[in-house]
Amino acid sequence: MTKHLSIGCALLAATALTLPAQAQTPQNTMVMAWNLDAISNFDPAQIGEVVTNELITNICDSLVALDMENESEVVPWLAESWEVSDDNMSITFNMRTDAVHPSGNPVTAHDLVWSMTRVLELGFGNAAMLTSYGFTVENAIESFVALDDHTFQLNLSDPFPISIIMQAVVSGRVGHVLDSVYLKDKEVDGDWANDYLTTNTACVGPYHLRQWSAGEVVVLEANDNWWGDGPATPRWIIRHVPEAGSQRLMLEQGEIDIARSLGAEDIISMQDNPNVVPASTLNHQIFHMSFQTGREPFDNDLVRHAFRYMFDYDALADTVMAFQGIPRHTVVPYGAFAALDREEGAPFYLDLDKARELLEEAGITEGFTASLYIAPGPFAPEVAQHLQANAAELGITINIEQMASAQLFSALRGREFDLTLSSWQTNIAHAHGMLERHATNPDNDFDSQLAMYPSWRKSWYRPDFNERVRAALFETDEERQLEMYRQLQLDHMEQAAGAYLFQQYNNAVLRSNVEDWKWHAFRVFYREAHKN
Amino acid sequence: MADASNLARPSLTGRRWYRRSVATARILLTVAITMLGLITLTFFIGRVLPFDPVVAILGDDSSREAYDRVYRQLGLDRPLYEQFFTYMRDVLSFDFGRSLSSGRPVIDDITRVFPATVELALLSIFFGVAIGVPLGVAAAARQGSWIDQLIRVFALIGFSAPNFWLGLVGLAVFFAGLGWVGGPGRLSTFYQFDIEIRTGLILIDSALMQRWDIFQDAVSRLVLPVGILAYGAMAFIARMTRSFMLEQLSQEYIIAARAKGVSRTAVIWVHAFPNIAVQLVTVIALAFGFLLEGAVLTETVFAWPGLGRYMTTALLRGDMNAVLGCVIVIGLIFITLNLLCDLFYRSFDPRTR
Repeated sequence: MTKHLSIGCALLAATALTLPAQAQTPQNTMVMAWNLDAISNFDPAQIGEVVTNELITNICDSLVALDMENESEVVPWLAESWEVSDDNMSITFNMRTDAVHPSGNPVTAHDLVWSMTRVLELGFGNAAMLTSYGFTVENAIESFVALDDHTFQLNLSDPFPISIIMQAVVSGRVGHVLDSVYLKDKEVDGDWANDYLTTNTACVGPYHLRQWSAGEVVVLEANDNWWGDGPATPRWIIRHVPEAGSQRLMLEQGEIDIARSLGAEDIISMQDNPNVVPASTLNHQIFHMSFQTGREPFDNDLVRHAFRYMFDYDALADTVMAFQGIPRHTVVPYGAFAALDREEGAPFYLDLDKARELLEEAGITEGFTASLYIAPGPFAPEVAQHLQANAAELGITINIEQMASAQLFSALRGREFDLTLSSWQTNIAHAHGMLERHATNPDNDFDSQLAMYPSWRKSWYRPDFNERVRAALFETDEERQLEMYRQLQLDHMEQAAGAYLFQQYNNAVLRSNVEDWKWHAFRVFYREAHKN
Repeated sequence: MADASNLARPSLTGRRWYRRSVATARILLTVAITMLGLITLTFFIGRVLPFDPVVAILGDDSSREAYDRVYRQLGLDRPLYEQFFTYMRDVLSFDFGRSLSSGRPVIDDITRVFPATVELALLSIFFGVAIGVPLGVAAAARQGSWIDQLIRVFALIGFSAPNFWLGLVGLAVFFAGLGWVGGPGRLSTFYQFDIEIRTGLILIDSALMQRWDIFQDAVSRLVLPVGILAYGAMAFIARMTRSFMLEQLSQEYIIAARAKGVSRTAVIWVHAFPNIAVQLVTVIALAFGFLLEGAVLTETVFAWPGLGRYMTTALLRGDMNAVLGCVIVIGLIFITLNLLCDLFYRSFDPRTR
């Protein structure tokens, strides 16, 4: 009897011990689950992926900001006002005088000069955001000028449209104002503090980075020195939960407030759950297939065009791409200035007879074999298999090779591929953002290594497109400009080195007590969100 | 006056000492050669993988100047033999370089993630052995009976059911459905900043702090992953124990013991079991090594920041410093386990002394 009682007590104690201590999240903390594998550093000059970009825009203020309600609208931020010169060759920004870095150093125009110059000097991918608009290492001194502590002048090499400069240059990662006084002390061997900023931040913004444990957690805390009203939620804990199924269970149990990596099945299965609310916004990100036009038979426009008729876009949109994207066949995302409307921007459909005709017209009657490289991702394998099955009906053998993203990057940079599936995102709501990278190629020589241009990676070089994209950008008559962009997109859709497939959504599922979740294609505004 | 024969021949103690010295030297030499081989292998694996380490660091869209700068910084412009000797020097001083995934020294990352795996592995192997060995013995003792069949089926399921699937089902039932256990992660958000990391083992750290609420939270989150990993280890150990035991039970000395009237329990545990101990040690060491190497899928489902997930993530990102650092650490683990096994053999089997 005593023995049985002891065993019973032990079991009870063990059960009590295993009961979770806390199920809900703290009221003053927003807990978000996301796959944080992509984070590798916090240097705004080097960040090139979605997750860290979202975090850094909540940590570092830029000179001007994108409006919370309208992704195309630029609003004053660290610059309270600005004047454009009559010849459109210079913009003078009047900066706030009350902004202070977390170190206590004042935010100055000199900080911005240093911050923008280092982007060019370091030469990471983000430098292309500046070089695309004529800024170079050589002209940085004349281009970025601090007239005094709080007046910054941006001098242009060409009369670029001011709206584009405001969106592409001074509102984004290259316009983040870093604490130059503090960071100069952190420089090692002339690295512009790149090493320090790998794991730290030094800038003014609503939050500061309190902790980053790779593969585990990111913690942001309200920056007490911020010049604006304090954030509605003082602390964000972003937990690394790579598995979507685990995220869903944690959200349903209230262990997290927001889940960011859920797939279509998870979102559908939670639609009837009153405790959660799905949210989505259309990104300016296009999922597409790239062709290596330096290799046969993809050097032929007709062959590439035939592939556009090998996808059942609607069926994919209803299944593997549900909640993930909408069919989009022009490279310019829906919602951008001068983008084709949804109907004109997605004219292709599954038509294998038409594809066969195009292949025959290209002189291909016997079929061929090609490799299709894909990186690990939520829907690329299914889309690849879909293409593989349809292409097989035309005698084309597609060998799918899934590989680590680093391996795919190496293949892209080395032009060593036949076909790849990947995504590309622009940072401005303007047709030029995508066309400049996908429809122009300044120098097709392999040694130029212009890998920041997807057109270069695909060896696609059309001088006429180079000229047309530039002409459309500088066209001052808006009606004429819209028509130029329309024709560019229509021609590009048929000749490009890419088959553009879907415009992607950014998804989140929130607990129903999360309010003021504000976001659009380019920003997520953590400072607004709170729990009731 | 000393006996001349004593002077000519080393004493018994001296011979033992000599033999032990030779054995120790042999072991050290084996370890050194194994480590050298491992380091050489990892270096050349790093060179033949289809990753461009510069692209892995910079991404695919950097300028040519940035590419060339990092290429030189990594020393890739130097001759291969020079790179190899630099690598060898660094590794021998436990400098595995910097991880691309975290921006920190790889050794710091391994120090951070390894305790999470150790905590999981130690508990899993404890329960795996505590349950697996008796079950294997019971199955062998009642070969062909319903108990044997039941244990074999139970072990077969544990052996063949995917951990990933078991993890998700376990979370759906016991965490989301019944609320009996904690969810993914090592600790609740509430305790994120309350724990003071000393050993990296949350149970020990929370006990040292006498924070029993944190201890309880950690236990609640360990139950499922430990249960699943222990189930797998138990299945392997039980099957092997049964097999070893069946072999022993068919030996003549067992029949003789039974004929002399020794009870079945005594025959099994006193006569047969000590004779399978050596083989069992090998099996347990293998199971433990596998658990330490990292149960990647379990760590993925349970958002467990352990060594297996760290290494897999690094591999997918082309973070070769981290991968090679982990490979060397895992190599060291297996070498250590092998040495421990050798010591156990000597204790259990006089013939190996």
